[in-house]
Amino acid sequence: MMFDHRLILLATPRQIGVLDWRPGHMHWLGEFAASEAGLAAFRQVLVKHAQLPVLLVVDTVDEDYRSEILPHVQGHARDELLARKLKQVFRNARFTGAWRQARETTGRRDDRYLLAALTDAEWLMPWLILLHRERVPLCGITPLAMAYQHLLARLRVPAPHTLLACRLNNSLRLSYYHNGLLRFSRLIGSDTPTQLPGNAADEIAKTQLYLTGQRILPREARLHVLLLDPSGQLDSAQAPLNADPAFSTRLIDMPSLARALRIPDSFLAATPEIAPLAAIADESVQLNLAPPELLQRHIEFRWRRGLNLAAGIVAAAGLTLTAAYWLNTQDLRDQALRIKGEVQRGDARHAAIVRDFPALATRPDQLGQTIALATQLSRSPLDVNALFLPLGQALAAHPDVIVKTLTLQDTADGMADITLDARLSDFDGNYRAAMARIDSLVSRLAATPGIAAVERVTSPVNTASTATLSGKTSGETRPEETRFTLSLQVRS
Amino acid sequence: MSRPPIASLKTSILLLLAASLLSAAGVFWSHQQDTAARADLQRQQTALNAAHTRQQQGQTEARLITQHLDAYRALVAKGFVGEENRLAWIEAVHLANRDARLYGLTYTLSPRTAAQPALAGGLPLKQTRMILKMPLLVETDLPRFIEALHERAPGLFRVSSCRLARITDAPPQPVNRPELDAECEFLWFTVAADTGTTQ
Repeated sequence: MMFDHRLILLATPRQIGVLDWRPGHMHWLGEFAASEAGLAAFRQVLVKHAQLPVLLVVDTVDEDYRSEILPHVQGHARDELLARKLKQVFRNARFTGAWRQARETTGRRDDRYLLAALTDAEWLMPWLILLHRERVPLCGITPLAMAYQHLLARLRVPAPHTLLACRLNNSLRLSYYHNGLLRFSRLIGSDTPTQLPGNAADEIAKTQLYLTGQRILPREARLHVLLLDPSGQLDSAQAPLNADPAFSTRLIDMPSLARALRIPDSFLAATPEIAPLAAIADESVQLNLAPPELLQRHIEFRWRRGLNLAAGIVAAAGLTLTAAYWLNTQDLRDQALRIKGEVQRGDARHAAIVRDFPALATRPDQLGQTIALATQLSRSPLDVNALFLPLGQALAAHPDVIVKTLTLQDTADGMADITLDARLSDFDGNYRAAMARIDSLVSRLAATPGIAAVERVTSPVNTASTATLSGKTSGETRPEETRFTLSLQVRS
Repeated sequence: MSRPPIASLKTSILLLLAASLLSAAGVFWSHQQDTAARADLQRQQTALNAAHTRQQQGQTEARLITQHLDAYRALVAKGFVGEENRLAWIEAVHLANRDARLYGLTYTLSPRTAAQPALAGGLPLKQTRMILKMPLLVETDLPRFIEALHERAPGLFRVSSCRLARITDAPPQPVNRPELDAECEFLWFTVAADTGTTQ
């Protein structure tokens, strides 16, 4: 992770070494003796690297490991179960821890735990006090054997039963791993006679016997021994061990180790103690021996880092969105500006067109309409002269008809109504003859071209049986008695 | 991660809050700007479309003016377009009466009203109802008078109705004396000037 910049401390009862690590880059800051001067110098390093999380890897003989099969429980129940078990196994040890390594595949499918403790950690207290005083976020305390477990993973050792023999700081550490997981480890200090190669082989053989006796290592299993010693003093142990069929021994040379850890050969040769530290640096702490109160600073650190990271992400997202919107806004404004220019040019062209328009009392699109309307109105529907012509022809054939009134009415549908009020010029009292003469006029009118219909509205005598008929026969006759009215429909 | 130690994280929490607020404010502000710019662009686009329409309309109008201007001006000169000129109408009636050698007439002009929409066809067409009463010697005097009026009257008019009545019941005499009464109703049409016209 990009924020995984941390200090890895390798603490022994005599000294403490500091590795400044971040992904792809590491720097050995030196070793500091367990003295006043060493503590002061170490403090300077801490101050210089304030706010960096710290992982403390301890390398001491005062450690104890125990494998336990416990019922599979989770959550708070597991915490309580482990707390009780650790208390039961390690009594008053302050630095204890449990690591759930695997789950059994048969039976109750219990969990297999590795319990570990620092049985004597008095030598560690000055360093821890200093870390606490400088408010260093301690992320965990883990045994060196756990760091070697990750080293083993880097070396890709396929054997199921592996014993890693490492010689560091004049001490020999023997760690047993089953399928790559730590089961047991012991440190043989410099005050024991292990410096002789034959003694190293003996210690390995004794350890194998102990593991077999404790049923940690199956009796029939062949132990694969890896010898790691930058000084090369363990090389001579390979031959006697390989002579025993219970062992298969292999030396790990520095170039192979440097390749596996992806660090320069020279750097590894100068500071071989960084090998396990580099292996565990980017791993999570699986077996943490630190009591919760020592991890409080790291909890704060993680929360603070999480919050700061969230703030950064929020700020970056906000900035990105703001920038995106702003850039889009600029683009839209540019487009709007360009279109505005086009509008102005269009308006100018329009103004140039209408500038030459003459002053009109109407809209240009109504010019043609006005002209068409005028043409329509000019065609007079009531052409008096044309109406008089057929009427005059009919009346000329009936000189005995005297017109009293003539009314022309435009009906606006291409027709005209003519109402003719007339009388006969002479009347001898013979109504039948008078009606015949009027009928003759009506017939002639109806046959005249241009006249669509003729209707007799009133007659000298109304002979309809539905009407009231009155009159007198005095012997005198008057022309007014022959008044009649005709209604004509004429095509105009 | 365990329960957060709030007290020791005040600065980080405030930092997160500040970042959130500033981000929200920035996003809100820029979004507002973006929305406003988008609306402005939309307005400009609408204005551009309107400008294009105006330009096309102007070109169309220019073509229409070229096509109809002469005929339209003739109508304006004739008095069909614009305010009705009643004085010219009275003069035209007098002249038509004289030219038709009639015996005088009486006229009544009603107030100018809007013509029927079906006839107007969307134009501001007005009509004035006129009633003319005149004595005639013979029936053919009436079409002669109407013809003479057509030649002189401003605007356009149509004969709506006419009524001819014989004054006396006596047979026609060979003297210059009117024997008929005519009463005609005319509709005088004019198109009112459109005040909201194109220059």
